[in-house]
Amino acid sequence: MNRRLRLWLVGVGGAGLAALLVAACLDLPRFGGDRHPYGDRAVRASLSRHTANTISSVNFDQRAFDTLGEMSILFAAVLGCVVLLRQTRDEHRDRPEPAEVARPVRGYALLVLPVALLTGLYVIAHGQLSPGGGFQGGVVAATALHLLYLGADYRALERVRPIGVFEVGDALSAAAYLVTGLAAVLAGTAFLTNTLLPYGTFNTLSSGGTVPLLNAAIGMEVACAVVVLLARFLDQAVEIEQDKGEGEVRAP
Amino acid sequence: MTDAVIVVALLLVAASATVAVATRDPERQALVLSVLGVVLAVLFTVLQAPDVGLSQLAVGSAVTPLLLLLTVRKVRRRPRRKEPPP
Amino acid sequence: MNGWILAAALVLAGGVGATLWGVASGPLRRRVIAQNLTTALACPALLLLAQGYDRPSYVDVALVLALLGPVGTLVFARLLADELTGDPPRAWGATWAVAGLGTVVVAILCAVAAPGRATAKLLVTGVLLIGGNVVASRALAGGFGGVRRG
Repeated sequence: MNRRLRLWLVGVGGAGLAALLVAACLDLPRFGGDRHPYGDRAVRASLSRHTANTISSVNFDQRAFDTLGEMSILFAAVLGCVVLLRQTRDEHRDRPEPAEVARPVRGYALLVLPVALLTGLYVIAHGQLSPGGGFQGGVVAATALHLLYLGADYRALERVRPIGVFEVGDALSAAAYLVTGLAAVLAGTAFLTNTLLPYGTFNTLSSGGTVPLLNAAIGMEVACAVVVLLARFLDQAVEIEQDKGEGEVRAP
Repeated sequence: MTDAVIVVALLLVAASATVAVATRDPERQALVLSVLGVVLAVLFTVLQAPDVGLSQLAVGSAVTPLLLLLTVRKVRRRPRRKEPPP
Repeated sequence: MNGWILAAALVLAGGVGATLWGVASGPLRRRVIAQNLTTALACPALLLLAQGYDRPSYVDVALVLALLGPVGTLVFARLLADELTGDPPRAWGATWAVAGLGTVVVAILCAVAAPGRATAKLLVTGVLLIGGNVVASRALAGGFGGVRRG
């Protein structure tokens, strides 16, 4: 395909997409209107199950099956990264060297690490009450751990981060989500139906039935997945070096 | 007044996204992307979607720049293989 | 007419608009400073928005930004240390001016809010925001020594 033809193809495709988008925009409800048929139903369903944060109710109750799909995507993506970024036969590991970090920066990193970890857990635990949930809190908690790399050096992070444990944690929490869904099947309803547990008192930590459980499973899964993902990238950038003499013809 | 802040947030997102596309150097692009993440989080908040805003902040402010810069470091440091003569 | 949202819109249009210009042009040292100041300006704007919409739970967004924004700047300071050591970025005037803005916003919001858990959360956010951004500025101005591998 030559350049001219490619440009034509892009032009025709772009024009078609633009026409469809404009046609769709003309048919949209007015911005900021008060007719929200789906929103009204979602809010009613979430209130009937004592979940204060409707978004969490949608994610972990009304559309819990979609969240299972999203979790599988993250799991598969991290698995792919682990396989792609492994240490190959013509590579070796070098010991990372400690960086010289200024005192206030090191102090800040070590001081904020527990605060960030706690904030991550807070965001996970309050998923059914306030904005946030397993995904957001999990990423915050995983980021918190990497303050050790920023404030000290990679070896300090490696000491507190046994990667095998996080890989097992990733798989276990993904399994926990599935088991919670299957428990509903065993109880005689559909997969992932939120009828297993009492709904609790509205706007308290123990409300929403299985929503906090699924939320916690997602939080752990995301935290472990991000730690494993960043570990692979850090290994590649800091430790793994290509062997010398690669690509040269060696004498037999 | 609520509309004014939405317009401001939308303009900021459009401007920073355009700059992110126009920047070629990956290190500078990572800086622009991190600003774009913050501005997007503000846009989601003014559109009353703080859950999405939190997701954007969690991913965009530290994890994405770390992944990008580590990749750049790895690629830059990699020794160039000797190409066999054609 | 809601004064809080108007104030947030002004901070966003003036402050974040300026830092966006800063991050889009100029040498690397100017860009990293602009990135740091974006966090320091967007966080007070988010606090003002939470007050303007009368939704105390929106403060969580500002809290996470106050925590992770400076961490993002530390990432840049650490991994771009080689590029920044020759010509370290110093912008203490702008850093302290923005920190002052953050202090004023947090103080006003604390005075308006009823004392209790909300005030405590606001104070934590303010301390993290201002401390974090000052430390991140320090990190950019030569916080990481040269390191060959690490």
